[in-house]
Amino acid sequence: MALISTILALRKDARILKLPPYLSALCILVGVVWLLVLPLNEYSRNTYVSENALLPGQVHTYFTGSEHNIFRAYRHEVAALADKSVPDRNQRLSEILRSSNLKVATQKYSYATSGRNISNENVYAILQGPRADATEAIVLIAAWTNMDGEINHSGVALVLTLARYFKRWSLWSKDIIFLISGDSTSGPQAWVDAYHDSHSPDTIEPLSIKSGALQGAIAIDYPAGPWGHRYDKLHVVYDGVNGQLPNLDLFNTAVSVASGQMGIGCTLQRMWKHDDSYKERLQTMLRGMISQGLGHASGPHSSFIPYHVDAITLQTVGDGWHDEMSLGRTVESLFRSLNNLLEHLHQSFFFYLLLQANRFVSIGTYLPSAMLIAVNFSITSIALWVASGRAGKLPNPASTAPPSTPGEKSTSSPSKTTPMTLAEKDGALALIPTELLQTTERALFLPLAFVLATHFLGLLPLYIFNNTPSTYLSPVFNLVALLTSLLPFLTSFGLKQFSRPTAQETTLIQCFSLLLLGMFLAALATLNFSLSFLIGIATSPLTFVRRSNNKAISAVASLLLAVLNPVVVIRAATFFFGQDLVKVLVQAAEGWHVWGLWTQVVVWLVWWPAWFAGSVVASEGLFA
Amino acid sequence: MLSSLAFLLVTALIACASASSDYYERLLLRPLPQSTVLASFNFRSNESADAFEHQNFRYFPRSLGQILQHARTKELHLRFSLGRWDAESWGQRPWNGAREGGTGVELWAWVEAQNEEEAFARWLTLTNALSGLFCASLNFIDATKTIRPVMTFQPEGHHANSSNLHLLHGTLPHEVVCTENLTPFLKLLPCKGKAGISSLLDGHKLFDASWQTMSIDVRPMCGPDGRDCALEMEQTVDMVLDVDRSKRPRDNPIPRPLPIEEIECDTTKGYNAGDTCYPLDKSAEPAWNLTEIFGRPLKGACPLTDETGEGSYPVCINTPPERTIEVNTTGQYEEAKLASDTVRCYKLPTGADFDLILPQQRMTTGLILASPQLFAARSINGHGQERGSVQAVIKNPSSTHAVEFVYLEALPWFMKPYLHTLRARVDTSRENPVKETYYRPAVDRKRGTHLELRMVIPPSSTLTLTYDFEKAILRYTEYPPDANRGFDVAPAVIRLINPQSVDNKGIYIRTTSLLLPLPTPDFSMPYNVIILTSTVMALGFGNIFNLLVRRFVGIDEVQTGDAGGLQGVIRGKLERLIAIFKRG
Repeated sequence: MALISTILALRKDARILKLPPYLSALCILVGVVWLLVLPLNEYSRNTYVSENALLPGQVHTYFTGSEHNIFRAYRHEVAALADKSVPDRNQRLSEILRSSNLKVATQKYSYATSGRNISNENVYAILQGPRADATEAIVLIAAWTNMDGEINHSGVALVLTLARYFKRWSLWSKDIIFLISGDSTSGPQAWVDAYHDSHSPDTIEPLSIKSGALQGAIAIDYPAGPWGHRYDKLHVVYDGVNGQLPNLDLFNTAVSVASGQMGIGCTLQRMWKHDDSYKERLQTMLRGMISQGLGHASGPHSSFIPYHVDAITLQTVGDGWHDEMSLGRTVESLFRSLNNLLEHLHQSFFFYLLLQANRFVSIGTYLPSAMLIAVNFSITSIALWVASGRAGKLPNPASTAPPSTPGEKSTSSPSKTTPMTLAEKDGALALIPTELLQTTERALFLPLAFVLATHFLGLLPLYIFNNTPSTYLSPVFNLVALLTSLLPFLTSFGLKQFSRPTAQETTLIQCFSLLLLGMFLAALATLNFSLSFLIGIATSPLTFVRRSNNKAISAVASLLLAVLNPVVVIRAATFFFGQDLVKVLVQAAEGWHVWGLWTQVVVWLVWWPAWFAGSVVASEGLFA
Repeated sequence: MLSSLAFLLVTALIACASASSDYYERLLLRPLPQSTVLASFNFRSNESADAFEHQNFRYFPRSLGQILQHARTKELHLRFSLGRWDAESWGQRPWNGAREGGTGVELWAWVEAQNEEEAFARWLTLTNALSGLFCASLNFIDATKTIRPVMTFQPEGHHANSSNLHLLHGTLPHEVVCTENLTPFLKLLPCKGKAGISSLLDGHKLFDASWQTMSIDVRPMCGPDGRDCALEMEQTVDMVLDVDRSKRPRDNPIPRPLPIEEIECDTTKGYNAGDTCYPLDKSAEPAWNLTEIFGRPLKGACPLTDETGEGSYPVCINTPPERTIEVNTTGQYEEAKLASDTVRCYKLPTGADFDLILPQQRMTTGLILASPQLFAARSINGHGQERGSVQAVIKNPSSTHAVEFVYLEALPWFMKPYLHTLRARVDTSRENPVKETYYRPAVDRKRGTHLELRMVIPPSSTLTLTYDFEKAILRYTEYPPDANRGFDVAPAVIRLINPQSVDNKGIYIRTTSLLLPLPTPDFSMPYNVIILTSTVMALGFGNIFNLLVRRFVGIDEVQTGDAGGLQGVIRGKLERLIAIFKRG
């Protein structure tokens, strides 16, 4: 009891309100350090294949010999199609697939985004498993052009050769679908949407033939021309749209087959050189987080993951001594493993950060990092709520020190005599500061209206960026950058004209804004850890911004926040990573319309309102 | 000696038994495109109704006969199937689809009973007995998997008293048909796979086929005046063999890449070189023979077949007349040409191996395959754990005739369709194609959904049927104990009403089965939770129970010495009683 009463007494202590900023800072610090220790051996684990049925690399592969001659011929055929129109190309590809006795169909699709029209055609063939019952299928994809826009010569030729080769086997327990999509992102998306009948039938053709439930998908990206190119390593791309990841078992199987059975090194996140040092592990992890945070499609496989179809892309990189047949055998072995599956992939992890090809951190270990950063906003928000309920600075009645130090600027009157009230209870008398007995009313209307309006205001740039033609994107972006940078100052100047907000209202604005931010980020951390973490870091200064009557402090804070404007951050990030801004914006719009990308929703409806509210609070001091 | 004995037996049978009590077998081979061969085995044995009633079994197997008598089953249809019939390449189905079932096991029967309860009880008897006979899980056909179709199935036999006949139908789409089902199937035959065409049936090849179905049909057949009734049992095995795959030796079944010398390259291609080869389609019909593709030789005629007439030519092959066919046998055989030489039938030698050899041959004419009256495909749309939709696409390829058919859907109870979302659209007309609906909703854990639709498709049109459904959450004991990929939904059955079939068997088409993934809990997690909570409960309960029940007394309060033993206990109790009364 004694402990409880001590804590209750502490609640009234003014010093308790001083604690939250330090607590928040501690949360941020621990959150960041937590992430930095993850690459250490003590906090990460070696990968392992969890699903027993997969048995990676346990079968002999026979994709050699005369298949190589046929592959070379198909590669020449593909090269001859490079300049042909889409219908001519697909007609020839259909012919080749049909000559392997497969069921072939095509699918036209077109999307309109950013004033452009993406239209192309997919061609796909179904190998009906000789003894299968059409209830399950696995997909082998080769996009006609890869993510860099190069023609996937050898990849398409390899799929054609493998289709012919797989047809001879009788052991398939699932159907195999060979998909040659028109491009790497919208083509697979149109196909997988239509497969699950969630496409818009006006612009996307439905699939004329279908098979059973998709159990996995492997994409091949091997853009070597008609004379081939020997590669050094396989780059395994695994990021899905919105940062969703495939089951770790699929990734592990691919790595285990490629490196264990075929002796091909595996790499990820464009880390061409990886010596397994701390720095490289951290770099791999951070690259993975940025890619996950952006949530863009990273290959033909990305579109499959939202439908709970585990998928990866195998990309050949470097100059080495591995040839197309070793890639073919890798795919063969991988398909033999997937063919063994008795259930949908579910055993292993769906949430992980990879440090190198066979080392990972699981969600239980890394999640606290983003959660701590999200919690820091909630702590500050609660502290601000409590602060808003207190009239002003009260001297500690028990304190023997003078009630206010001379240097401190206090909103309450600095008079030495505090008005006191005499209270009587059960015959006992007590002197209590009058202010403590008065209830402070919170003026909720303006803060709530302001925060809600800010969040709805975010819809405007969201709409503009998703629907502006690509030619106008650059000026529109600059205009939005200018407007959003000026808007906080204009807003606080405008509000000052009505001599609002009061100090309490300012505190409440910040309180609600941070409360929402903390809630959103905590929820987001469970869905897309990386995005939540990155936004949490970018918004962390908002915790420490307070309304100040000092113009210099206000100016510095406003300037600092102006740099952290999401629009400015995006501009700086594209500059830093050497990306073309318009291209990024076009991709984002394509993501919104085609892939169902949610990143811009988070940016404009979570990050930007929080930043805006913080900036308004900071700039109020300028017009005080 | 043996053959002469068999001859005597056959002649004796023909002399004594009525014309209907005979045995007939036939194998029809038909090469299909893409170097495949359709082999249709057909065995028919008759038993007069009189002999059957008196349990006098001759060709009719006693094991099955007694089951039918015990379960009062008047007509029985049992199907074991595997794989898919590729209607686009292979054309019309053998027997117009009347002798095939959906993937897995399908059983329907007309049972004689006074009321529905009795019929169902007899049906359970039947399924349990057949389950033992055919080594299949037929006993799992319970009330939830049984339906009573109204329009889809018609009796094939002649039933004098059809008012108290009950039709029951059950499917096991997940049942994997394998060798253990073939062995009892062969044992029902009079020659038991030792002679005649049944000697070709080998489990390895049969179950490596691209599509195969085994069927058993028992029906009463009567003469035109309703007399001379006989019970006819028909057993068929239809399989589509991939010639290349079947020809691979059993000890080396791996399809290794051929040596490059054996691949026909397209030398007209500019890039053709020693290391680059564009493979040409094999335009020639592949070479094959019976021994190679069935894995064992045909061991002469079954001695029970007729000596003369149609039944004496049990092996037939349907090829263009120009196809070279050589016969390899040490015994005597006869060849008969039918249907303007496109069908060649052979009378088998007795006691000597018989083989047909078809060499590789470049053909100028091909066989014309009859086009199927309908194409049907069915799939599950949507994704997620909660709901989905089923889409059936039925196409009428005929440009002149509308097709009327019945569509039967039997869904498990945990797949709950919303009938108000049922939409049937025809792409060429706005008219509603559904003419009649029979619907019996599911009852949780009691019975499944039964939906029958009578529909009409105009010529060269496509009918799309969709409906939404919701997935139920099962109790944890209702999940299968081992690894599973989801639950199988039985194939839809389509029966054509118009155009009608020429015989009374009907024209049937079955779609493929569907895979229904249900929300599956991570079973290890509740296990962990149970273990953890049990431990916590045990620790907490122990401590709290101790605190509550145990009386803590100071050491000086404990009475010592003299008042021990039984006397002390009684005194203690008395004192407590007195204290209670005083307080009260």
